[in-house]
Amino acid sequence: MYARLHGCRRRNHALGLANAATLWLACTSAVTVAATPGAPEVFAAVKPGSGSGNYSPYAGRSYPTRPYFGDTHLHTAASLDAGAFGARLSPRDAYVFAKGNEVKTSTGQQARLSRPLDFLVVADHSDGMGLFPLLLKGSSEVLADPQGRKWFDMIKSGRGGAAAMEIISSFGAGTISPAIMPMPGTANYRNAWEETITAAEEANDPGRFTAFIGFEWTSNTGGNNLHRNVLFRDDGTKARTVEPYTTQSPLGSDNPVDLWKWMDAYERKTGGNVLAIAHNGNLSNGRMFPMVEAFGKPVDRQYVENRARWERLYEVTQTKGDGEAHPFLSPNDEFANFERWDRGNLDGSVAKTKDMLEFEYARSAFKNGLRLEHKLGFNPYKFGLVGSSDAHTGLAAMEEDNFFGKTTPQEPNPERIKETFVEDPRTGVKIMDWEVSASGYAAVWATDNTREALFDAMERRETYATTGSRMVVRFFGGWDFTAADAATRSPADVGYAKGVPMGADLPTAPGGKAPTFLVAAMKDAMGANLDRIQVVKGWLDENGNAHEQVYDVAWGDADTRKRDAGGKVPPVGSTVDVANATWTNTIGDPELIACWKDPSFDPQRRAFYYARVLEIPTPRWPAYDAKRFGIQPLPGTAMTLQERAYTSPIWYTPR
Amino acid sequence: MSLRRIAREPLLHFLLIGLALFALFDRSETAAGPERRIVVGQAEVTGLSRSFQATWNRLPTEAEIDGLVDWYVREEILYRKGVELGLDRDDPVIKRRVRQKMDVMLEESLDAVPPTDVELEEYLQANADEFSLPATVSFTQVYLGAPEATRAASALASQARAALALGKDPAELGQPTLLPASQERAPVDVVSRDFGPGFAERLQRLAVGEWSGPVSSAFGEHLVRIDERTAAVLPPLDAVRARVTREWELERRARTADSGYGKLREQYDVVVDVDRASMRIGAVASGAVRAERR
Repeated sequence: MYARLHGCRRRNHALGLANAATLWLACTSAVTVAATPGAPEVFAAVKPGSGSGNYSPYAGRSYPTRPYFGDTHLHTAASLDAGAFGARLSPRDAYVFAKGNEVKTSTGQQARLSRPLDFLVVADHSDGMGLFPLLLKGSSEVLADPQGRKWFDMIKSGRGGAAAMEIISSFGAGTISPAIMPMPGTANYRNAWEETITAAEEANDPGRFTAFIGFEWTSNTGGNNLHRNVLFRDDGTKARTVEPYTTQSPLGSDNPVDLWKWMDAYERKTGGNVLAIAHNGNLSNGRMFPMVEAFGKPVDRQYVENRARWERLYEVTQTKGDGEAHPFLSPNDEFANFERWDRGNLDGSVAKTKDMLEFEYARSAFKNGLRLEHKLGFNPYKFGLVGSSDAHTGLAAMEEDNFFGKTTPQEPNPERIKETFVEDPRTGVKIMDWEVSASGYAAVWATDNTREALFDAMERRETYATTGSRMVVRFFGGWDFTAADAATRSPADVGYAKGVPMGADLPTAPGGKAPTFLVAAMKDAMGANLDRIQVVKGWLDENGNAHEQVYDVAWGDADTRKRDAGGKVPPVGSTVDVANATWTNTIGDPELIACWKDPSFDPQRRAFYYARVLEIPTPRWPAYDAKRFGIQPLPGTAMTLQERAYTSPIWYTPR
Repeated sequence: MSLRRIAREPLLHFLLIGLALFALFDRSETAAGPERRIVVGQAEVTGLSRSFQATWNRLPTEAEIDGLVDWYVREEILYRKGVELGLDRDDPVIKRRVRQKMDVMLEESLDAVPPTDVELEEYLQANADEFSLPATVSFTQVYLGAPEATRAASALASQARAALALGKDPAELGQPTLLPASQERAPVDVVSRDFGPGFAERLQRLAVGEWSGPVSSAFGEHLVRIDERTAAVLPPLDAVRARVTREWELERRARTADSGYGKLREQYDVVVDVDRASMRIGAVASGAVRAERR
């Protein structure tokens, strides 16, 4: 059936879409469940779908009943750049902090999360892992080496920042002296890995807190970010049989294909399990989601199969910007312009051009994945979504009012909203510290808080990304959801009974039916009300061109807030008092739920659907800084934001 | 032990010979100045070759071994001469390195006897907060709606109460919500994470087995029936032995190092003579300090 479509050339249609308003047909109507004053029905008409034959509606329930929140991407002093920038917290400290304990930060401040996280992956850079603690110790091999000695002296004389820049650029150029570079096979590297493993083993507390073993593989050739975090399902016994894969030849490689080989070898050798999560396509300058070739090799069937096998998740939002959608690619999406970092690659050495964007953002990758599947019979970009911090402080502190920054110099201080994060005068690429995003976390619908259960949920992509909020989001797809399902007491019962959760595939289309979706969201117990739930649809047309459309499916204040003449739901408004860094939950709703049916479904065409949930506007972290330090932000500083969640998609594939 | 037997003791002979040798060398050293003899033995070469291998992932060649030995000799001569000239003094790098060696020595100075069960048990009891399993609560709740709809909520509350009195299933009352309708032995900290700050504390005040409320959460008002409460439990030592041992060990190291340092400190006369005002001006360069002063 693909043959017919093979010869089609790709055309650049404008989004050939009718007005969203005329297409909007939420099953019969969207139902919101927030307390509607004067609601006539107190007693629900719909029985919970137990369907198990047990009297107890909870007996026999095997699906995940709560999302676990965590960070899959946190650096400590063991990361070369983090250490260089002044991080002194160890992997052990990072777990202690994530568990909700108070710690003293690298700048000597007391810090604590508003509430514990459920899991954490300390993912230190494999290249040079442990170099910095080694430099700080002033071990004999470091001091014997002229380069090591020089950096040691710089750090000791208070020029750690300058040393950091030198170390990072020497790393990029591959000119770190082999005598001091901890590399696989050396005792220093083994010690650093051992410390990582031991910290995770000690912190892991099945049922209460999961500490994953992991590392970051940091392919950064030419300043183009192709980084991946590698997570182990396994304990130290298996993880100890290997040493983290690096990017520097001859022991490592900067090509993801080689990382996948390493992962495969690990699994074969130990019978264990690993997965890789890429991030910051926005800093890859068009290389994160290739379509034609990667590293001089064609994107062929083998590439796409391996990519899909090893990279089941993508980190879509983090401190270095949001990667869901870009306004250039999604001009009709008024929420696409969010925490945008699109000026160049990671070090700013090459400025961004518009043709790169298509290969950098998740939504675009989902669309291009459909195109590659159409061409090669396999979709490499069928990934689920998570958010994580990528903080280099040992502190997974991504709350706007409790943000401990991306790097140690960005821990709270009166200067941080005025400093420059990256600047390359040759390219003109400049990013300010205030643009650093207090984002994000990974939410995982697992059956238990253990390495195994969380990892397995990640493998089946039953995850969503948040920009730091801990809102709860359910998203199910099926063929038979009805408006009544949105009024049920336990949406999960009916969701799993009649459909598939986020990250899964829709079963084969029954004749004449369009897919229906049950989507529900509940605000963060300590956070802001919800503005709206949207469903983002992407699909291929008969010519093999990809399209997208965003649908509003449920929104707060629905009794007074109606669609405008153009079919758009008007903005929710704002209660933010920027000067005092406060807001109130007097707009929006604490919970939203809706059943939505695709109004323009074509069973012949590939498609994907994911949910995006927006909070009402709240103060952004610089607003808290301005208030607490009593300082004026730079002109143009973004002071408010709408935190959000992105679910993993549900895919439809014609048979 | 008789004197004769002591005189026959081989250990004594050893000691005497050793003492004699020591005196001899001591005298020769004083005569000739510091030790001028450098011996590169098998142990040194093995060490050099091992560190070469760690860097290059192969054994050194003969020529490379010669180079390493030359390097070693050069380092040894320059080091000894440098120490002789007092170059090790006032060097922060060397000072730090020596201090680190001392730190390690202090930490390890007590013989590392594994802790006894009694010691561990004491440690567990003394740090009960850290090792206790949290208190739990089992409860059923009926969600009455968002906080702003107070009037509607109180109407709902009385309707729901009436329905509960008639034996209606609580899972079918009130407003639908993604919040769990009931929780079984949920740790109280998790309850607070789900329902918002203060909710678990409010539950602690409610009577068991009857419907109470409305109780406020971050989401609105709830009727709540507490089904069971369990107190925080300190697990038996065997269940947490590894963790207790680890923490005990860490504490012992820290304590040993501190007391070792304390003893050394007593042997020194320390005079701190600085102008504190001038120090504070210097510290303003650090943002964090300035932040604290605000």
